[in-house]
Amino acid sequence: MAELSLEHVGKTYPNGYEGVKDFNLQIADKEFIIFVGPSGCGKSTTLRMIAGLEDITSGTLKIDGRVVNDVEPKDRDIAMVFQNYALYPHMTVYDNMAFPLKLRKVDAAQIDKIVREAARILDLEKLLDRKPSALSGGQRQRVAMGRAIARQPKVFLMDEPLSNLDAKLRVQMRAEISKLHDRLGATIIYVTHDQTEAMTLGTRIVVMKDGVMQQVDTPSNLYSKPCNLFVAGFIGSPQMNFIDARVGEKGGKITLTFGANTITVPDAKAKALKPYVGKVVIAGIRPEDVVEEHEYAENKKLSEKIAATVTVYELLGSEAMIYGDVDGGQISAHLSATNPVRTGDRIQVAFDVDKLHVFDKETELAIVH
Amino acid sequence: MANLAKAKVGSDRNRTFLLILIPVLILFVAFNTFPLLTGVFYSFTDSKGYGAFNMVGLQNYIDLFGDARVGNSYLFTFKVAVVSTLITNVISLVLAMGLNSKIKFKSAFRALYFVPQILGALVVGYVFSYFFTYIVPALTGTGSILASTEWAWVAIVVVCCWQSIAQTTIIYITGLQSVPEDVYEAGNLDGATGWNLFRYITFPLIMPSVTTNMVLVMKNMLMVFDQIVAMTSGGPAQSTESISYLIYNNGLSGGQFGFQCANAVIFFILIAVISVAQTKFLNSREEQL
Repeated sequence: MAELSLEHVGKTYPNGYEGVKDFNLQIADKEFIIFVGPSGCGKSTTLRMIAGLEDITSGTLKIDGRVVNDVEPKDRDIAMVFQNYALYPHMTVYDNMAFPLKLRKVDAAQIDKIVREAARILDLEKLLDRKPSALSGGQRQRVAMGRAIARQPKVFLMDEPLSNLDAKLRVQMRAEISKLHDRLGATIIYVTHDQTEAMTLGTRIVVMKDGVMQQVDTPSNLYSKPCNLFVAGFIGSPQMNFIDARVGEKGGKITLTFGANTITVPDAKAKALKPYVGKVVIAGIRPEDVVEEHEYAENKKLSEKIAATVTVYELLGSEAMIYGDVDGGQISAHLSATNPVRTGDRIQVAFDVDKLHVFDKETELAIVH
Repeated sequence: MANLAKAKVGSDRNRTFLLILIPVLILFVAFNTFPLLTGVFYSFTDSKGYGAFNMVGLQNYIDLFGDARVGNSYLFTFKVAVVSTLITNVISLVLAMGLNSKIKFKSAFRALYFVPQILGALVVGYVFSYFFTYIVPALTGTGSILASTEWAWVAIVVVCCWQSIAQTTIIYITGLQSVPEDVYEAGNLDGATGWNLFRYITFPLIMPSVTTNMVLVMKNMLMVFDQIVAMTSGGPAQSTESISYLIYNNGLSGGQFGFQCANAVIFFILIAVISVAQTKFLNSREEQL
C-alpha cells in the first residue's frame, strides 16, 4: 500500500479552461480519501490525473515518493473502478479479473488462487463463468471491484462507483466497500457527488468547487466546522439554514438581528464577531439545531424565541422536517415524529447557539463556529 | 367503442403500409424474382439466347463440371476474392484506427478516403488501366502487368481493394466508435497497451464489424465484373476471366445462354452458401456489448 502526494497539481485544457487549480494533498497509507463536490468541480479530473488517464499540466504527483507525472497508467500500480464499470464485455467474470494478472505474466496457478480469493470476498464465486451482459448492475459493480482487488494495487481509485445502482443496493455496497477497506488495509481515493457516501466512507474528505479545493478534513470536522459558506451548504442534508443578520452590541453582548428577531451570541463566539458590529453577516444553523418549543431541552443553550409559520411538514418516519417562514428569512428544522406541529401552525423556535455558525458575507469564509 | 376506433386507426395504418410495400414488391418480383426463375428455367435448355430451344434436363449442369474454362474462371474468381477480402479488411482496419484517433484534419481525411466509394467501378477500372499500362511501366521500366497471364490478376486485386477499402473503413470506424472509451482506459490501467490492447480488447469488441465486412467484401469480390470489363476483358488468354464476366460474355454474346444460366444458378447458390457460412462462423465469435 502507498502514500500519495499531490503538490500544486493543476489541469489546464488546450482551450484555456482550468479544470483543477493548485491542488495540494498528502494522502497517508491506508487512508480512505473522498473527493466530493458538485458536477464539474474537478474531482474526477483530479482522480484521472492520479490514474494517468489525464496529463498533469502543472505540479507534481508522487506515489511512495516517486514522481509519476510521466509514468504510464499501467506502471503506476493503481487500479480503478469506473462509474460504468468498464468491464470487458467479451470476457467472463473470471477472465475480467484475471486479465491484468495475465498481462503481468503471473503464472496460471497463482492467478487462479488470487481470482478465486477475490471472488470469495465479493461473493462472485457462482458467477465466474458468466459474461458481464448476463449480470445485474450490482453484480457488475462487484466484478469491477473484484478486478481491482485481484490486481493487488498500491492505490485504489473509484470514480462514482455506486452512482448507477438503485438506492437500496447503493446502501448495501457502501457498507461492502467500507468493510473492504478495513479488510484490505488499502489506500483508496473515492470520487462522489453524494455527500452521504462521502460522510460514511471517508477517513478524510476533500470538498471541491470550480476546480479549487475548499476544505480537507475528517467527516465530523467538516460537518461541525465548515470553513466557508459552500462547504457548510454542501455537507449536510437538508442543508444548513442561512439567514442574513446584522451584528449588534447590546449591554456588552454581541447580538444578531434579522427582521424583528434578535438573538444573543454566546460569549465564546462573541469575540470573533466584534469587528463586524454594524455589518451584515450570514448566520448558519443546521436544521437539527433549530429547536421547536415542544422539544426545548435543558442541556441545550438556546437563543431567544423566534416566531415562525410552518409552510411544509414532512413526516420521514422516525422524525419529521418542517419548513417555515420567520421574520427576516426562512428556516427548516428537525422535529421528533411525535411533535404535534403541522402545516399552517404558528410556532416558536430557538437556535442552539453553541452550534451557530457565522460567515462573512463578502468573503463567504467562516468567522466563527 | 374505443376498441372499434382503435381497430379502425389500425386498419388505416395497415392500408398505408401496404400501399407503400406492394408497388415495391411488384417491381422486385418483376425485375428480380421473375428473371431469376426464368434463368433457372433456361438453365435446363440449350437456348442460345434467341430463336428456338430444346429442354436438355441436367445436361448443362453435368457439362459445367467438365468445362475447363468454367473451372478456370472459378479458380481465378476465388483467388481474387479471398486475397482482396483479406487485404481490404487488413488495410481498412488499420486506416480506421488511424482515422478514429485524435488527429488533426480527421474529418477531411475521412472524406478523402471515402472518395473511391463514390466513383463508378468502370471509371476507376479505366483510370487504373491507364495507370498500369503507361505509368507503372514508365516508372519501373518493365512491361504492363495487364499483359501478363501470370500477373494480371494482381492488377485486378489492386483495383478491387482500392475501391472497396472506402466503405469497409467507414464500417470499421463505426465499430471502433461503439467501443466505450472507459473500456480502453480500464485496459490501459490493467497493462494492455499497443498490440495487447488491440488483440485482447479492440479486435474482439469490433467482431460484429469484422463479420459484416468479411461477408460484404467477399460477396462483392466474388461478383467482380466492372473492373475486368474496363481493364482486361478477361485476358490475356482468359487468365482474368471471372465467373460473372464469363456468364455475361459467353451467355449473351457467345451463344451459350442456357449453359451460362446453369452456371449462374450454381454461382448464386455458392455465394448464398458462403455468405451464410461466413456469417454463422463469425457470429459465433461476436460479443454482446
